[in-house]
This record gives sequence, structure tokens and C-alpha cells, in this order.
Amino acid sequence: MSQPQGTIAVEHLWKRFKADRGKAQIRDKMARFRARTKGEGGARGYRWALTDVDLDVEPGHSVGLFGANGSGKSTLLKVLCGVMYPYAGRVEVSGRIGALIEVSSGMHPELTGRENTYLFGSLLGLPRGVVARRFDEIVAFAEVENAIDRQLKFYSSGMKMRLGFSVAAFLEPEVMLVDEVLAVGDASFQQKCIDRMRGVLNEGTTLVFVSHDLAAIEATCARGVWLHNGVVQMDAPVADALSAYRRSIEARAEAAQVGGGPLRLTKVEVSGLAGQPARTQESLEIIFRLESDVSDYALLHAGVSEGTASPILLITQTLTLKPGELEVRARIESLPLPRGRFYLWLGAARKGKGQDLISWQPVCQFDVEGLLLDQAPSAIVRLSPVHVRTEWEVSSF
Amino acid sequence: MLRSVPELWRSRELIRTLAEREIRARYKQAFLGASWAVITPVVLMVVFTVFLKRVAKIDTMGVPYPLFSYLGLLPWTFFSTSVNSGGQSLVSNSSLLNKVYCPREVFPVATVFVAGFDALISTGILGLLFAIYTFPPKITSLWVPVLFIIQIGFTVGVTLAISAVVVYLRDLRQALSILLQLGLFATPVAYGIDDIVPVGFQQIYSAINPLAAVIDGYRRTVVLGLAPRWELVWPAAITTVIVLIVGYSLFKRLETGFADVA
Repeated sequence: MSQPQGTIAVEHLWKRFKADRGKAQIRDKMARFRARTKGEGGARGYRWALTDVDLDVEPGHSVGLFGANGSGKSTLLKVLCGVMYPYAGRVEVSGRIGALIEVSSGMHPELTGRENTYLFGSLLGLPRGVVARRFDEIVAFAEVENAIDRQLKFYSSGMKMRLGFSVAAFLEPEVMLVDEVLAVGDASFQQKCIDRMRGVLNEGTTLVFVSHDLAAIEATCARGVWLHNGVVQMDAPVADALSAYRRSIEARAEAAQVGGGPLRLTKVEVSGLAGQPARTQESLEIIFRLESDVSDYALLHAGVSEGTASPILLITQTLTLKPGELEVRARIESLPLPRGRFYLWLGAARKGKGQDLISWQPVCQFDVEGLLLDQAPSAIVRLSPVHVRTEWEVSSF
Repeated sequence: MLRSVPELWRSRELIRTLAEREIRARYKQAFLGASWAVITPVVLMVVFTVFLKRVAKIDTMGVPYPLFSYLGLLPWTFFSTSVNSGGQSLVSNSSLLNKVYCPREVFPVATVFVAGFDALISTGILGLLFAIYTFPPKITSLWVPVLFIIQIGFTVGVTLAISAVVVYLRDLRQALSILLQLGLFATPVAYGIDDIVPVGFQQIYSAINPLAAVIDGYRRTVVLGLAPRWELVWPAAITTVIVLIVGYSLFKRLETGFADVA
């Protein structure tokens, strides 16, 4: 029963590493042997990198894989690649695999860019003729025409990534695996890569994309898999998986006390008009209650974000602090946010001296009801959701 | 294990690229157009002729000593270069191994090809020696391919096994150089097999060290006009088959953990 080309089937995958992975010398083995015979056996710990992972991807589908560092994403990719073998479970990937795992993936530093391209082609199982045909395209995409005959060890990491990505993407793999390498390229090349990945998806290639850039994942993949400590936390349409992931980050941050120093936040409330939930293009009321031990001028910053530390909008106010309690109200007219869940971030610093009184952190979350933004075409990735009232006028001559 | 052989055949393009790259790199940096790997057997032959022959009583059966020892040095250098470079081929290519899938055997196999290329050039020097000593090769040289197959089989088996083990025991590489040095003297390279092993034990010895039978065979067939000593060749052949099978199986077994420790 053979699967169509481009299928990924992972069933009950378990993968572990020895805790002392790096110790590959005879004396280490001897020491371990001695410890075992003395009855101290089991000192050799194992670390489970992947625990009972299931993943089924059909040809032509795209999966974004994300999670904290050390969650097992790269390990999963390497097992898919065939570079690492499962401890238990079944992994089957049918079709040619083009993988970009770590910057100089599969590239040999002593060979030139040209030789590496042909080498990669043979690794993928392609005859030299096919590689020759696509060669110019590959070099043009990677923008390395001047360096193609230079040895790879003289390439910058950006050049290596560009060539590596270009080779993996243009040699028509049925399955493409991309690990968190795009960050090495500049913003315009990252966009090129994302476009190319979408192009490759259109041609029917299966894509598994690992990244910390959640916006890039959202822009490229239809399905999101959140991996944490080797366990699949969630496998769902990408928007749902990503918001669950973002929420967990915020939950961890919120658990910390808000401002343990001379200035403390004791209460915060966010609402729309007259206590109603917030609505798009209507007033937003924020009430802070602060307790201060000091007398000083302070700058209070409040921001609204979708979960990240970079706010969509930021408001600032100077406060005169005196020991005691203080209530601060802010009203934003015509809130320019679409429907969704948002987080209120707060920070305060001594005016002029820049010392933190309250460090920048999320303090509460709130929902906005109202209008949704228009659907953007897939080639355009929105930085932040902002709703503006627009009036259009079209006339013909 | 048998399933991997067709896969290896499909990767012949890759083996060719790897071998080509290594050969080109070595000969690019060459002095007088000859690689050091080719000069080594020549230098050793000179050293043996000048120093060793004086000290030891070596029975070359009428063959000029340089020719006699060179016939031993050729296969030995092929073997020791393969094992030495092949042994570290996986470790030095760990960046490739870790990221891209390819049949792992290609790396040690490519080094054997490179050693073979060096041996080919060294054989040219052999031709020179034939001319200098006016000692032409005899018709019995037709037996050489048989011995050659044993030589290659044994070399490939040992190289595969060692390359896999070195990934897990890195300091074996150092031990390897010493072992090969010992091997140079334990094998009848500078002398004949009769000089070091009493006749009664020669068969057992050939079973342990097939190269001894091969070298002895080369000398008898190429310059003495005699057939190889079959009673030594067949134990060598059996050992070679065993080594090849065991070596390859060991490789395949250890292969699954390469990326975990590399």
C-alpha cells in the first residue's frame, strides 16, 4: 500500500537522546561501564525529545510547526528527513525531500557553490541534467551570481542560507522541510522565501515550516502544530493554534506580580462605553489604580497588543506621584481595533531618569466586539490589525 | 542489509562527486603533480631498501628488493589509506550527515575509490620499476584480478566497520594510526611471508590477515611466474567474505544513531 508522493505519515513517534550525548570517547564508555558494574547503573539518563507524536500530512498541504526552544521541532524535522531514526513509532515520508535545516544544510564548505548545487541535486536523487536545467534559476533566486564559483566556506551566513533555500526549493522536491533559518536573511529575502514557499505549495509540494516568526507561519501555512517539550499541544487550523500558543506565553507572563517596587498596580479595568464590552470605533475606557511609595514625576505608558510585546498603539501620560493611592482613567475615542482578543500592557518609569517603576508587561486582556477586517490577499501579510474608517470614491472619465 | 545495496547503486553519482572532489583537492595542492599519497609507497620502498635490507636477511627469491617491497607496498598503502581516511570520513562529514538524508555508506566508499585512484597512479611507478630492473611482469599476472578482488573486499569491509565505530568512539582514530603502523610490520610488506611466519602457521595467518596472502600472491604471479599459493588464498577469501558481511551489517546497525551523536 504505497502512499502518493508527498505524503507524511508519523505514528506514535518517540525519540530520546542520551543525557551525555557529547561523550563519545573510549574513556567515557569505560567510566560508564565501570559505573554500571558497580551497581550505579541507570546513571545514564535519557532525555525524551519527542513523546508519542502523531502527524499526518497529505500531499500539497502546509504545516507550521512552532513552540518554545527545545520543544523538539528540529528533532521532528530531522526524523522526517531520515537523518535521525525513531526510538519507537513509524515515520514514512514518500517522495523527494528538500530540506533546509540549519543554515548550511547539506552544503560542504570545501566545494564551490556550483559544486554544492550539483551535490545537493544528487543527494536528492536527481540526474545532473535536471540540475543543470534549473541551475540559472537557482543562482538568480539566491542572488549569488558573483560567488557561485567561490568555495562555500567563504560565503556569509546569509549567502549560505539563500543558496541552501534556493537549492531546496527549486529542485522540485515533493516534500519541503524548512527549519528556523530564515531569520538569517534580510527582510526582503525573507519575503521572497515566503512567496517561494507559497509558490511551491501551489505546485503541489508538501511543506513543513518551523519558525519562531509567527507571522510568517500564519502567512504560509494552513495548519499549525504547537509542540511543547516533545508533546503535541495542539494540531489545528493555524490561526487557532497560534492564538493558543500566544495565550500561553501571556499566561506565563501574567503570573508574575505587576510591579513589586515602589509603584504597584492594584486594579485595572478595561471596558467600552458605560461598562459595555469594547467595540470597534467606539470609546475605550481604561482605569488603573496605583499605589505609590514615592514622590516623583513618572511617565506612564499603556499599550494594546495582540499578545506580543510590541503594541499596536501606545498612549503616554505624565503623573505626579505621591505616597498613597492614585486612580488613573484613560479614554480612547474611536478605538481602531477590529474584533478580537487583545492585551493591555503597562509600564512606568521615573520621568527624566528613565528608571523603571513598573517594567513593561501585560496586565490584562480584553475582547473587542464589532467589525472584522477585510480579508487580505494571501500575498500580503498585515503587520498589525488596525481598523480605519475609509470613504471611497470611484469615478470614470 | 541487502536492501541497501540497490540504494547504494543509485547513489553512485554522489559517490562519484565526493570522490572527484577529494581527488581534485588533493592533486590541486600537489607538488610536482604527484600527491603525497602516491609518494609514500615510493619513499617507504627507498627506506626499506636502504636500511632494512641491510639489517635483515630477506629472501626475495631472486627478485630485486625494491620491486619486491613495492609489490607489497602498493596493496598495503591502498588498505591503510582507505582505513585511515575512510575511518574519519563520517566524522568529518558530520555536518552533511546531520542535515540531509543520503546513504551513509557513500562516504567510506568514496574514500576507497580515492585510495584506488592513488593506487592506479602508483601502479604507473611500478611500470617504471619493471623497466629499471629489466624484470618484466610474467604471464601468470593474469591471476592478479582474483587477488585484487580479495584485496578490495577486505579493505571495504574493514573501512565500513571502522568508520561506523569511530563515530561512537572518537579517540579510536588515534589508536587507528598506531594499529596501522603495527600492521605495516605485521604484514609481509618489507619481507616475505616465509620470513616472519613458520610454514605450519601460514594458513592460520592468512585467515587472520588476508593481505598477507594477497601480497604473497602478487609477488609470485607478477614477477616469479608462479601461481599463487592457493592454500593461503582460500582462507584469505573466506575471511574477506566474512569481514565484508560483518562490516556492512555493523555499519547498518550503528548507522541509526549517527545523527544522534555527531
